[in-house]
Amino acid sequence: MLSERVLAPADLQDPATFSQGIPQEAFAEMRARPTLSWTPPGGGDRTGFWSVTRHAPVSEVSRDTDLYSSAVGHIQIYDIDDDALSARASMIDLDPPVHTRLRRLVSSAFTPRHVQSYETAVRARIAERLDALMQSGGGNWVEAVAAPIPIGVICDIMGVPESDHDYMIELTDHLVAGTSSKPLEPSAYGNTTDLRLLPFNSPAAHGINEYARALGERRRTEPADDLITKLIEAEVDGERLTDAEFTNFFRLMVFAGNETTRASMAHLALHLVEFADQFERLRSDPSLMDQAVEEVIRYSSPILYFRRTLTRDTVLQDTPLRAGDKVVMWYAAANFDEEVFDEPLRFDVTRPLRPPNVAFGGGGAHFCLGAPLARLEVAILIESILSRGINLRLAGDPVYVDSNFVNGIEHLEVEVG
Amino acid sequence: MSADLVRVAVDSERCIGGGQCEMLEPEVFLVDDDEAISSVIGSGELPRDRADVVVHRCPGAAISIVQPQRPSE
Repeated sequence: MLSERVLAPADLQDPATFSQGIPQEAFAEMRARPTLSWTPPGGGDRTGFWSVTRHAPVSEVSRDTDLYSSAVGHIQIYDIDDDALSARASMIDLDPPVHTRLRRLVSSAFTPRHVQSYETAVRARIAERLDALMQSGGGNWVEAVAAPIPIGVICDIMGVPESDHDYMIELTDHLVAGTSSKPLEPSAYGNTTDLRLLPFNSPAAHGINEYARALGERRRTEPADDLITKLIEAEVDGERLTDAEFTNFFRLMVFAGNETTRASMAHLALHLVEFADQFERLRSDPSLMDQAVEEVIRYSSPILYFRRTLTRDTVLQDTPLRAGDKVVMWYAAANFDEEVFDEPLRFDVTRPLRPPNVAFGGGGAHFCLGAPLARLEVAILIESILSRGINLRLAGDPVYVDSNFVNGIEHLEVEVG
Repeated sequence: MSADLVRVAVDSERCIGGGQCEMLEPEVFLVDDDEAISSVIGSGELPRDRADVVVHRCPGAAISIVQPQRPSE
């Protein structure tokens, strides 16, 4: 059996494979194969895994949480011990019905209708950042625009004071760096916890946990209309969240509300320059905005993958899978599936909205909670750039985030006119 | 494309409050502000093609078509 397995053509565990963005050629090769591609076990924490790169099976895996579990094994591409798994578990690492009960604690804040109420605040944050960038004539687009806007928005919703927003950016940056080739010192942020127990094996997770605890304590005596207060007061099946549940929840929300939209906003600058004609088209026909937003999100595919563990034997894309096997859903590959997206490398603001891209996940219980918020933020950013007549020019090559999980950009020097 | 009307229902145990249904069909679905659980308002009738879209887009796989209704005019 093993001899029949077709191996993945690139080292998908190595961040270097993603150093210039999505490895389009390797993914195209894998999509063209009749079966899933196999990556054999490496050393240490590297279990073997199957790569799912087509759109249809990514949706299939996403939607069947009984067969493809998030709670059994780790949802990232390396293995961790059971105690580490439970220490870091937030709703993203759980299956229904526990997942559903936790998700409902926060989901009302992110429904499309509720998200509309954030529009004025989002618009103001974007205006402030764009006006500052225009005044200075340019700079690092990520630092000036893409990073501060989403963190500002999610921190407002969570209840993190403005004065701490930069600290949150720093912490979440360092969180992702835990899986990079240049991790932090284990004692950073005063960490004393065994790194293997921390998300991304990063001491920055300790920093975020400590921050969440302190802010939670403050909200116990000074409640506010924010998600921190809601989580502190929340009860699931008659019980308050434990300290770990609370800090894990906070960390997930700050990370997910920040790194993802930031990545799309960073890529947007590249799209504006490289596909200027498409944005001219949008300018002349604003009714294309929803499609343009989806295209930015599809093309940037901020989260490259999530992993699932099989709970029983099955067959997926003509590939026999065994209970305990790992499958990795490469959203960034499925979003360029030729069967679904005509000429997938073409950036096209007139692309139909159906079938949807899988940047927010392929559907099912774990579908991105913040999707309506991310869409709103990206739409207002595009609209604000066009209405100001901002003309972006690249003043350097993009420097990608050193990660095989987040398709982020760390640095992108731009000039504006 | 069929213009048949069908009736939709929400399984409140499975609903994760994603709000996609309300965004697509605000006349038929309402997501409760506190509990973030969707429910059907009014008759719950939709043309089959639109119902199929909502069923497919529901992240929680909580929406189903319960019965075909009479054909529309």
